[in-house]
Amino acid sequence: MGTDAFPTGVLGRFEGPNTVGSGTRFWAALAVTVVALLAYPSVVGPFAAGQLTRYLVSAFLALSLAFVWGYAGILSFGQNAFYGLSGYAFAVVVGNLASPLGTTVGVGVAILFGALSALVLGYFMFYGGVRDVYVTITTLVVTIVLNTYGKTASQVFVGSVNLGGDTGVGIGEITLGAGPATYTLVQPATYYVIVAVLLATYLGLRALVNSDFGRVMVAIREDEDRAEMLGYDVKFRKLVVFTIGGGIAGLGGVTYMAWGYSITPEVVFSAAAAAYPVVWVSVGGRKTLSGPIVAAVAIEWLRTTASVQFPEFAKIGVGVLMIASILLLPDGVVPGLRGASRYFDRHGLADGSRLAIDRARRAVGRRVGGPIAVDESSEVVQE
Amino acid sequence: MVNGLNLAFQYLQGFSVLVLAAVGLAIIFGIMGVINLAHGEFIMVGAYATVFGYHDLGLPLVASMALAVGVTAAFGMVVERLLIKRTYGRLFDSMVVTLGLSLVLSQGMLVLRGTSEPSVPTPFGTISYGAFSQSVYRVALALAAVAVLVGVYWLFTRTEYGIRARATIQDEGTARALGVRTERVYSTTFAIGSALAGLAGALLAPIVSVTPTMGGTYLVKSFVVVVVGGPSVVLGTGLSGGLLGAVDAVVTNVYGQTAGSIVLLVVTVVVIRFFQDGVTGFTDRVRDRLAREGT
Amino acid sequence: MNDRISRRRFVTAGGAAMVAGLAGCSSDGEASGGTSTDSASSGGTVKIGVLEDRSGTFSLVGTPKWKASKLAIEEINADGGIMGNQIELFDPDPQSDNSRYKQLTRKMIQQRDVDVLWAGYASSTREAIRPIIDRQDQLYFYTTQYEGGVCDKNVFAVGPTARQQLGSVLPYLREEYGPKIYTIAADYNFGQLSADWVKVLADENDAEVVGEEFISLDTSQFSSTINNIQEADPDFVMSMLVGKNHTAFYKQKASAGLEVPIGTSTAMAQGYEHRRLDPPAMENIYAGVNYMEEIPSTANTKDGGFVDRYYDMYPDAPYLNEEAETNYFSTYMYKKAVEQAGTFEQPEVREALESGISLGPERAPEAPEGETIELDGATHHVDHHMWVMKADAEHNVTSVADRKIPEQFLSETVGCDLTSEDEETQYTPRDYFEEAK
Repeated sequence: MGTDAFPTGVLGRFEGPNTVGSGTRFWAALAVTVVALLAYPSVVGPFAAGQLTRYLVSAFLALSLAFVWGYAGILSFGQNAFYGLSGYAFAVVVGNLASPLGTTVGVGVAILFGALSALVLGYFMFYGGVRDVYVTITTLVVTIVLNTYGKTASQVFVGSVNLGGDTGVGIGEITLGAGPATYTLVQPATYYVIVAVLLATYLGLRALVNSDFGRVMVAIREDEDRAEMLGYDVKFRKLVVFTIGGGIAGLGGVTYMAWGYSITPEVVFSAAAAAYPVVWVSVGGRKTLSGPIVAAVAIEWLRTTASVQFPEFAKIGVGVLMIASILLLPDGVVPGLRGASRYFDRHGLADGSRLAIDRARRAVGRRVGGPIAVDESSEVVQE
Repeated sequence: MVNGLNLAFQYLQGFSVLVLAAVGLAIIFGIMGVINLAHGEFIMVGAYATVFGYHDLGLPLVASMALAVGVTAAFGMVVERLLIKRTYGRLFDSMVVTLGLSLVLSQGMLVLRGTSEPSVPTPFGTISYGAFSQSVYRVALALAAVAVLVGVYWLFTRTEYGIRARATIQDEGTARALGVRTERVYSTTFAIGSALAGLAGALLAPIVSVTPTMGGTYLVKSFVVVVVGGPSVVLGTGLSGGLLGAVDAVVTNVYGQTAGSIVLLVVTVVVIRFFQDGVTGFTDRVRDRLAREGT
Repeated sequence: MNDRISRRRFVTAGGAAMVAGLAGCSSDGEASGGTSTDSASSGGTVKIGVLEDRSGTFSLVGTPKWKASKLAIEEINADGGIMGNQIELFDPDPQSDNSRYKQLTRKMIQQRDVDVLWAGYASSTREAIRPIIDRQDQLYFYTTQYEGGVCDKNVFAVGPTARQQLGSVLPYLREEYGPKIYTIAADYNFGQLSADWVKVLADENDAEVVGEEFISLDTSQFSSTINNIQEADPDFVMSMLVGKNHTAFYKQKASAGLEVPIGTSTAMAQGYEHRRLDPPAMENIYAGVNYMEEIPSTANTKDGGFVDRYYDMYPDAPYLNEEAETNYFSTYMYKKAVEQAGTFEQPEVREALESGISLGPERAPEAPEGETIELDGATHHVDHHMWVMKADAEHNVTSVADRKIPEQFLSETVGCDLTSEDEETQYTPRDYFEEAK
């Protein structure tokens, strides 16, 4: 579009065809958003900040699915499995090594456990030749098995920690550090930490997705066989992507524990819970990274508010949202917004609105019946 | 100690539920390639329609079940026209749309009718053998499952629709070039699949609790059967129902219900891993290979 | 490029709008009854939080709890409130979702600053919010029947425990029918722990558990269970089945001709299966409960009694279930404790509760004429009056036995004494009884 004052070297790595937004204005907008997020707790108080923390945790889960689905074509209902396993792993480690060092180690162990589970499942699937919809079903089945087993494991101990079955596991405090240098993580510090980690994850993924690795991922998403024939080791790459996705979901699991201090099978492994990341990513924009984050936060906020005002209709609203978004904006809201902004870019605000209204009128007229004179000059808006 | 006759009855029960729940999905997935994640809710609609017909309209049980099948078929046609049609060829999109639909349906039914329905009585009596007894309806259900499979087979091999449908599965482009109205085939197929889901719900209503969220378990069961079954609709569903029903019955008998559910799912994953095209995909390949190596 | 809106500015504007929108996202409107203020209770109103499921999985059993709480609160307010202060109720719907419970619990404590909180049907809910309760030292009543064993300084678990419920019906059935028991239970914590209690009680009552079966919550087909029961040929069955899928068991057993008597702590009193299923599905089912709509205590059945008052307020309610009565009487217990303490400050009210509160039949309809139920201060549990209620072939429910059963596990076996030592633990029978393993 235009030239930018920023050197392509540093920020260029974070920009590319695989993500939305580039250039000075985008980064300025991002900076504004981050500042607003950081200022949020001071403005609205601890409770609302705690709420937003929960939504940001969902953003990790959304990112992990966006990464594997949007960029490698793997529709997985299993991100919740890795998310939940990581949360449980964290609780188990913290419960067994009841010390600040243990908790710190627990963070790493939990994230690695999420990645490792993804590695194992991914190996089983991709190296076994399981593809497309069968991958989806396998991940869904794995999550459900974890749910069924988890609920019954009420007197199962890992070390000294009872998995708790239906009531799950809880942790007391989160005190990190070692020896004399310890730090207890409480709100609103938890919020700031999660914002920082989310930002880092987002930027890291942006860089990855816009790199050569990311380009190959997209090639695999578009046509696996062709990528294979071009000489790329598709199985290995899908495995790497899936493992990274598991790690991000694992990160989400740890942040979930930091927010909620407890975990149960129903919250993470139920089929209903596994469906929500699909909602966030498909509404937000499957082939973007910012879309799912925004959609996850917005949809979760809407759900909570709606469930207070109209509890019975909240779920119906989510279902309608999913249907409408796929039918009307198949690429998601963020690309839809981008499409709309490009449209206005091209035609200007006034002209563009007039054209849009014309087209709408014509479309309705065609449905109702009767010929309507076509105005050639305004037709065919290229994207 | 495993009692043979008991095991046989439990097996029949497992087999019939699996086959009845899955056959509708098998047709839709096999012919249209559409993943209908609202399939469980179609079964739920069939069950509710049966209860509605029986309790609210005062119809006899059989008439209520017939009503349920009709209602669900009509509902399926509407859904296909409004939603599914727009996602042909986009597999993941059809999944997301139907997932949204399932949320709307299950929650909508909850709002409409409340948390649980009055129950429909179980017809027929009991059959006793030694110290044990079974509901005769169970046996009837198994017979119904077999009848449905036979009926579907007849539908696909002996009717006009069946021939067109099979042509469309084999090669859509050529079928269309030969004058087959593939859109019509798809609509009819979706309606038939929905009707069968409604039938499953109707047949199950007398023995289970009819609740708005009952669809979930049947969705998973159906998927499992369809995926393990493979491309052939009748043979796949039948064999897969038979195999998985056996696994479920044996494991449940020895280790309990929870183990049965888990093992069933694990078997599914294993089958997906080692037989990508399911059981009938495997048998197809074996048959092809034998044909080549033979004469 | 001058008078056109650039794409970047559009994205920027959109992003800023989104964030601004999020900034106003703490809106809700769930206060009902009285004006909404955000100050701590100091003269004027007392704030009560009630989080009960009115939608989702537990709506069938959660809605009556909420209704009964409201009934008690309306009665108290009409009578002048607590120490002259009107009760202001905050009752958003957690929708049977534990994440929602956590959020709403925080909201009740941090934003609404409630003086006391009732929350949750399922044990998993209680355990999900217990860390928050404990961290904030919030006074909390848990009113559902549960597996027992929670010894926590902030939690008053005033519903009947598994030991009380099973302990009322098991000895009766052993006397009536014989010593051989077959247990069927939902395969999760409550079911498993209840099954352990059946073993302990069997040992104490000269009975024997000849078979045990655990059934996953998702299962709705019971052929194999029915055959297993027939094979084991017990004198009676103890059933701790839970949830909508398990209701089908009673239907299926009836159609399979299984007639063995069944003792239960979970069926009939909560989900009113005897009203929803066609007879004779619930024939010969014996429920051991502290309350269900049909108990014959005077305070319950008389004109203007508990049942009448409940249906006066809610004419369309389908049933008045077990936990509703617990929500009702615990509200009055709170009132009594506040009056005894002379203040709403939570530590003082807790002390007043721990000194022991007793209620007569007027406020606790489970108690027959002339009797009372007591809150045991040391364990934070209630010595309930338990009833054994039997359903016949036409689903008429009558009482066959009743007695007061004090809380025993925590007070006698574990030695939990919250008046002298603060704790936040849940104990299980396996740690104390060999027979439970």
